[in-house]
Order: sequence, then C-alpha cells, then structure tokens
Amino acid sequence: MTEHQASLAPACAAMLRRDLTLAWRRRGDIAMPVLYALIVTMLFPFALGPEDTLLLRIAGGVVLVTVLLAMLLALDAMFSSDIEDGSLEQLVIAPQPLALMLGMKILAHWLTTALPLIVISPLLAAMLHLPVAVIPVLLLALLMATPLLSLLGAVLVALTAGTRRSGMLLALMLLPLCVPAVIFAAGAVAAAQQGLPWFSPIAWLGAALVLAVVLAPMACAAALRIALDA
Amino acid sequence: MSSSSWIPLWLHKLGSPPIFYRFAGVVRPWAMALAIITGAIALYGGLVLAPADYQQGDAYRIIFIHVPSAWMSMFIYGVMGIAAFIALVWRIKLAEVVAMESAPIGAAFTFITLVTGSLWGKPMWGTWWTWDARLTSELVLLFLYLGVIGLYHAFEDRRQGARAAAFLAIIGIINVPIVHFSVNWWNTLHQGSTISIFGHSKMSGAMLWPLLLMMLATKFYYIASLFRRVRTDLLSLESGKDWVRQIAQDEARS
Repeated sequence: MTEHQASLAPACAAMLRRDLTLAWRRRGDIAMPVLYALIVTMLFPFALGPEDTLLLRIAGGVVLVTVLLAMLLALDAMFSSDIEDGSLEQLVIAPQPLALMLGMKILAHWLTTALPLIVISPLLAAMLHLPVAVIPVLLLALLMATPLLSLLGAVLVALTAGTRRSGMLLALMLLPLCVPAVIFAAGAVAAAQQGLPWFSPIAWLGAALVLAVVLAPMACAAALRIALDA
Repeated sequence: MSSSSWIPLWLHKLGSPPIFYRFAGVVRPWAMALAIITGAIALYGGLVLAPADYQQGDAYRIIFIHVPSAWMSMFIYGVMGIAAFIALVWRIKLAEVVAMESAPIGAAFTFITLVTGSLWGKPMWGTWWTWDARLTSELVLLFLYLGVIGLYHAFEDRRQGARAAAFLAIIGIINVPIVHFSVNWWNTLHQGSTISIFGHSKMSGAMLWPLLLMMLATKFYYIASLFRRVRTDLLSLESGKDWVRQIAQDEARS
C-alpha cells in the first residue's frame, strides 16, 4: 500500500514530463493556436471598422472568444495520438488511478495550448485598444477560465475518443458547457472596464474551477472507459 | 436478492425488450388517441372559448402551444437524464433506448418553443429574438439535445454510442441550472428585466384550463411517440433474437 502510494508522485511527474516533451518535440503545433488567435483578432478591425471606441468596447469579449476558439481547435488532439499508438489503453490498465493520470495530461495540455494564448492575450487586447488598466483583470479571467475549458473539454474529448469524426461534434457539445465560463469571464472584464467591482465574477469562476479540478478528471476517466469500452 | 426486493416484479419484467415491446404496442394507440382528443379540446378551448387578453389581444393565444412545449422540453430532458443514469448504473438496454429516443422528441419540443416564442415576440416585443435569460437557456437546451443526438450517432456500435451520449446527458443535467443561473446574472448585469414572459399578472380560469389540458395532451403525445420509436429501435437492436424472428414470421403469415 505504502509502496503504491509512493509510486504515485513519480508516476504523475513522469506523465507530465512525457507529455511536455512530446509537445516540445512538435513545437510547431504549439504555435498554431497562437497564430490562429492573432489572425482572428486581426480580422475584427477589418470587419467592423477601425474606430477606437467600438474596438475598445468589444475588445474583452473578442479576446475571450478568440482564445476559446483557439483552444477548441487544439482540444481535438488531446488524446488522439495516445489512442492511435495504444498508450491510452496502457494508461487505463495501469495500477495508478486513471483520473489522476488524466489530470496530469490535462495539465500538460493546458500548459502547451492555453498558456501561450494567455501570454499573447495582452498583445491581442492591445490590438483592440483595451485600456492597460483592464489587462490584469483580463489575464486573471483567462487564468481562471482557460483551465475550466481544458477540464470540461477533456471530458468531452474522452467521450468522443471512440469515434472518427469528432471536430464539429466537439464544438457542438462544448458550446453549452462553456457558456457560464464565457459569461463570467467577459462580465469581469466588462465590469473592470466600467470601473465597477469585478471580483465577484472572478470568484465564481474560481469556485467553478475548484469544482472542475476535483470532478472533471474523474468524469474524464469514466467517459474514457465508456468510449474505449474498457 | 434482498436488496432489490422493494422493486415489484412487473417492473423487472417490463425491462425486458420483448415484454416492453408488447406493452408499448398496447399502450401506444390509447396514448395517441388521448393526445389527439385532449389536444383538440384544448385547442378549441384556447383558440375559440378563451377570451382575448386585454393587453395582448389575440396574439397571446400562441401560449397554448408555446408554454406546454417549453414544459415538455424540460420534462423530457429530465426523463432522458433519469433514463441515462439508469442505463449507465445498471446497464439496462431498455433505459439506453428510452434515453436516446427521448432526445429527438425533446429537441423537437425545444425547437417548437423557440419558434413559437419568436413568433410571439415579434408583435409583443417588436423583435424576433432578444437575449433574455429564459430564451438563452432554452437555446442552450436545444444545443444540449443536439449534442446528445450527435454523439449517439457518431459511434458505430450503437450501445457504446448510447452509453457515451447518456454520460453527456447527465453532464447536461448538471449544466442546465448553472447555465440558467449564469445567464440570469449576465442579463441583469447588462440590463434590467424590462419584459417578463407573462404580460398579464394572473391567469383567468378560461385561459388556464386549455393550457393545463394541452400540457396533458403533449404528455400523451410524448408517450405515444416515444413508445413507437422505442419499439422500432428494439426491433433493430435485437434483430438477431428469437422473439423478433417470431414477430417477423407472424407478420409474414398474416
């Protein structure tokens, strides 16, 4: 029992290191969502006109939705290579709890897709003339909302693991789940922009995140067992 | 097993596909007939007998379709969620079929709710669509239904697809109150609720009874439609089994 528990932390670390190494070997894939977000944000001024007042009003929402879409683009690949080479099945039958291992995979995925997006989000916001004072709130909202999306998305990706065409389906399934996250994150940014107290929506996001951190890996494991028929 | 003795035996038997097939075959025509009769009476009561509203005139009459559909859209999601839970926990084939065949009916009711609401909104609010909390929740509900239907059909193995979609339905049940709460919060942040769904303060009896009767009619229709779909689905799922072959032979003989 103690030996089993002692092997848990190294297993988590190995899982995380493996996924990060794999992502680093294919650095181009990390850059794709970032490029996508840049291009989408760049298109908004072309479509809506370059007036500062309009862009300033929509900046927070545009950045949030763009980051969400960029994450959705990368979500599909979360388990796909592991399913192809069979390492996910190995993970399912491994002695370590599947939920914990999947939690590590989700963390690695968040680090490689969402974190670069958060890093460039001030640039995206500046392109749309979001006031500098609001940018910390935007970053905080993104730091709360993106892990939430990764966790929710992981459950859905696990559900579609046994299917071949899952891109559009994933978007259809994620949309209802991400509505609250978008509302609260955008609400915090909008409140900060108007000089109102912005902490309560962030706190709600944080509460949802805590709930998701505990429950989503377990749901992800259950979904994966269903999808792989294990 | 002493743990399951509180469940009556007939309920166990009803879970078996051939017995449910026969049971549904007997109940379905009655449910359909009741749905047509109560629906016709309710429509007559709502469209002819009920007085026009003093504020909204005759346009309010769309609620006799709109409100029962809205109730059904949520009721069917509840039924689907419970059936999905039973399907996942006890792996009962019939529960999987009931959950999956409820989804298209529920999606249809949700769609009717959105369309009739939008038709009613045009003369009343002057717009087809507004981002009101209830409207948005209903739209999200439609997407939840579509997600369940889409996931079910994405799998080649139908039972596996049913289990995955049942899991999604349960996630959706947790999600619906969260969405409703957040959308409420969002709407009050942007603008106060200037419009309430019911323009009139209280409902007179002449308007209420057709509404309640229509609610009954939609329930009967749901039973009839669900049972027909479940029967068809059971036949194709169990197509290799003896009892299906028996039915096919009996039909060929007659």
